[in-house]
Amino acid sequence: MTIDALSTDETLLILKLAFLVLLYGFILLIVRTATKDIGGAPQESIVLGAAEAAALRAQYTRPARFVVLAGPALQRGSTVEIKESTTVGRGPESDLRIDGDDFASARHARIDPRPDGVWVADLGSTNGTFVNDANVTTERLLQAGDILRVGQTQLRLER
Amino acid sequence: MTARGRELAGLLLAAVIAGVALASVTIARDSEVSARALTYGALFLALYLGAHVVVRRTVPYADGALLPLTAVLTAFGLTLNYRLDPDDGGRQALWVLIGVGILCATLVALRYDYRVLESYRYLFGVAAVILLLLPSVPGLGERVNGVRLWVHAGPLQFQPGELAKIFLIVFLAGYLREKREVIAQGRLKDFGPLFAIWGVAMLVIVQTNDLGSALLNFGIFLAMLYVATGRGLFVAAGLALFVGGAAVLYNALQHVQDRVTIWLHPWTHERVYCALNGELEFRQDCASYQLVKSLYSIANGGFGGTGLGEGTFTSTDGTTLIPYLRTDFIYSAVAQELGLIGAAALLLVFMLFVVRGMRVALRAQDGFSKLLAAGLTFGFALQTFIIVGGVLRVVPLTGITLPFVSYGGTSIVANFLMLAGLLLISHRANEPR
Repeated sequence: MTIDALSTDETLLILKLAFLVLLYGFILLIVRTATKDIGGAPQESIVLGAAEAAALRAQYTRPARFVVLAGPALQRGSTVEIKESTTVGRGPESDLRIDGDDFASARHARIDPRPDGVWVADLGSTNGTFVNDANVTTERLLQAGDILRVGQTQLRLER
Repeated sequence: MTARGRELAGLLLAAVIAGVALASVTIARDSEVSARALTYGALFLALYLGAHVVVRRTVPYADGALLPLTAVLTAFGLTLNYRLDPDDGGRQALWVLIGVGILCATLVALRYDYRVLESYRYLFGVAAVILLLLPSVPGLGERVNGVRLWVHAGPLQFQPGELAKIFLIVFLAGYLREKREVIAQGRLKDFGPLFAIWGVAMLVIVQTNDLGSALLNFGIFLAMLYVATGRGLFVAAGLALFVGGAAVLYNALQHVQDRVTIWLHPWTHERVYCALNGELEFRQDCASYQLVKSLYSIANGGFGGTGLGEGTFTSTDGTTLIPYLRTDFIYSAVAQELGLIGAAALLLVFMLFVVRGMRVALRAQDGFSKLLAAGLTFGFALQTFIIVGGVLRVVPLTGITLPFVSYGGTSIVANFLMLAGLLLISHRANEPR
């Protein structure tokens, strides 16, 4: 079969464009599917296994110390020490339970002390998590003196 | 969508890409549409669907991006080899078929636990050294372009260096997992293996004149040492040793000096002594002829390329312009026919493969798997860098193959073995327990 409607040059141009579009489309497809699950990697180190990494992390992580400024569940002025990743909320499944704080969700926020500092993340709470009255949308690092508000409970990070 | 679903989607798209590329090549050659391109595309799809089914059966939780990426890379290789020489294209297709067969066989054989390889680590290490030195054995090795790479055994010929690379990575993964803590303490007596391997790398250069393979294997060693110990100082010390050794060899070996001169000064304004015919010639007509013609080829491609099948690779009297175009210089063929945009896409595909491979290493739970995945991936990345960098005059040119793309049976088989390793490791890491 010879090409009647299109000249060879035109056909080849179309094929070349199609090839490049498909190729970049393929790259896009792989990038899209590949970046979706990259956050799911269970650990951050090539060198260490999961258990070793956790032990090292614990060794280099200072526990986070919070002073309770306000809140129905915790003694005002008392200190809360958090050594490892901890969920805060009203429900029994939370590690740090603030039962009686009607404005807190069952699983409200996560406080995570890491080697580079104390990180806080909102776990999709109804009323939001606030640091110095700013809404926490993505995971953020706390500075000493920052005031973390979960429901009616207010905690200040000590140095 | 599951990993296998993504893999299937990627493979279908890869087959369409291969079909379009082959159609373009056949139309450019014969000025007519034939059913051949479609047949080739269908065979390509059938081959990889077969591999997909085996992957589904043996390693269902394996990474879903690696096989489609490999398919696209081999599609590049098949199209370009078919375009440059239909007979070689056919042979390349046969090698891809054998490669996929070996991939499937490896997956089936090691589907329960590939970590048995760890107990044979010293066997792999000895085999790697023997393979590396095999081309220097008189009567067995053959010298091509002043470099001993090939082994002839009757009608068979193969490049043992490609397989040695894989064996070396398996050995290092097993060895470094065992000795990791001891080496990380950094006492001088624990550096014995480091010096031994440095010595072997240098010995291989002297014996075979093959700077590329020595650089590749030593680079893999340093990367895996870093992955095992996490100490950058070792890498710095190793690099210093290699540079020092290479500098000594540079002064001792004419071959190495020539390569560096060609790299830095491919063009001359005056005639210089030409070792090929013993007369005075411009260097671009003599020692750096190949590299210069390759640079012209890349420049001819420009931004968009000439189009698949429409590049110029032979002069008007039909002689080939670039020697070793289908093996070492395949990237310059890509750059001419597909231009900057296509050559960049090819590099992106390589990069994605490396990203996925490193992710496999991150996810793996035990030291041997981590080291194996990181080593295999790094070797793949470094090999691509050395040859593409050589063709583009970023580093001195040393002839090694562009993984999955260059013409060459041993290279294809070795790279499919690497892919099998990554699939097995990622399956084990992702498997729900």
